Amino acid sequence: MHPVFCTIVPPHVLDKLAQSEDPAVSESARRTLEHDSLQRTRRRITTLRGVAAPTGTPSDKPERTIYDAEHREVAPGRKVHAEGDAPSNDTTVNRAHAGLGATFELFLKVYGRHSIDDAGLPLDATVHYGEKYDNAFWDGSQMVFGDGDNDLFLDFTIPVDVIGHELTHGVTQHTANLEYYGQSGALNESVSDVFGSLIKQYALGQSADQADWLIGAGLLGPNVDRGVALRSMKAPGTAYDDDVLGKDPQPATMDDYVRTSRDNGGVHINSGIPNHAFYLLATDLGGNAWERAGKIWYATLTGGELLASDADFAEFARLTAASARTLFGEGDEIQAVLKAWSSVGVPAS
Amino acid sequence: MRIAITRTGGFAGIERRAELDTTGRPDATHVQALAHRALASAAEEGTAVTGVPDGFRYEISVDGRTIHCADPHLTHEQRELIRFVLKEGA
Repeated sequence: MHPVFCTIVPPHVLDKLAQSEDPAVSESARRTLEHDSLQRTRRRITTLRGVAAPTGTPSDKPERTIYDAEHREVAPGRKVHAEGDAPSNDTTVNRAHAGLGATFELFLKVYGRHSIDDAGLPLDATVHYGEKYDNAFWDGSQMVFGDGDNDLFLDFTIPVDVIGHELTHGVTQHTANLEYYGQSGALNESVSDVFGSLIKQYALGQSADQADWLIGAGLLGPNVDRGVALRSMKAPGTAYDDDVLGKDPQPATMDDYVRTSRDNGGVHINSGIPNHAFYLLATDLGGNAWERAGKIWYATLTGGELLASDADFAEFARLTAASARTLFGEGDEIQAVLKAWSSVGVPAS
Repeated sequence: MRIAITRTGGFAGIERRAELDTTGRPDATHVQALAHRALASAAEEGTAVTGVPDGFRYEISVDGRTIHCADPHLTHEQRELIRFVLKEGA
């Protein structure tokens, strides 16, 4: 009666299990570790940082292709739209195309990044994945969007911040590669929320005080009576409180940090803390959040080997302070960074 | 046979759980066979692969034996069983 070990078990737990005196437990864990380490080696190959683009300069134009899974759980599916094509009759296809474009645009125009890998990676997306599929994800090389069940969730291509969130998982994969567990996992989630929100703000031309700071606004279906979105960076824990969805579990500060083994150690829960720190920084500095606040976060995420893949909140916070000093010297920016982290209870110095 | 499925993760990070007892169901034989195949494919073919950020994670328990798996690397049988139990179960 031994469980089959899989992705849900973090490597450090597997390491322990592999040393178990029960041979069935240790054998199973050891095999999973071997498999995982193969996967990680592959990932490491794709995440070598600072390596020059293969040949020539990557294009300043996105190269987007949309595929249709035709309600099966397959990717990529049938090709239905290429970069230069006229708009499709399928609004989902057009939304995916536009969302990929908005993401490409922010990363290029504001941060000088050429696509997800900074080497002009073509952007592929599969829409209509599965039946009533309530999710969207970056599968390591492309985007996948479900249609939602039309009851709790609508089409996942609707909010541009959801598209930006998922594509940012690709950027993280190619840069800091934050491990998707515990605090580093919550940072991985938070960085996706931050840039997802910035992509929306940049597309709408909204300053920090005009933005809604919501993640997934417009995604909730007709059966959700009390909810505005899935997460709020402005007020974590207040996005929904509904009889079907339950209550938004996000904390805003370390006082309410949630210790759990569920959700990979609460990656979608505790991300509320760094999310709120970013919100506080951006609104304190004022103006467009993607400019100074966004640049500090981007430099921290992509700053080479400084940010460890298993970084905790405090390590990330210290590096944002270092980034603020490097970019802007001893001014308002560094003071605002220190104040934001202090407000959420994370030491940054 | 009691089949329980817990789905965690996903973009929303909202957990979903459903349980189903095949006793007395007209399709009991079919569902039990499906559950056996879903578990067997995990144990024997090494489908224990790395998930993806925001991908759904699943815990499938059948009469006390538990396996874990994750999107998008499910076997056909796991996919079918998950869909069935989350829809039909309570």
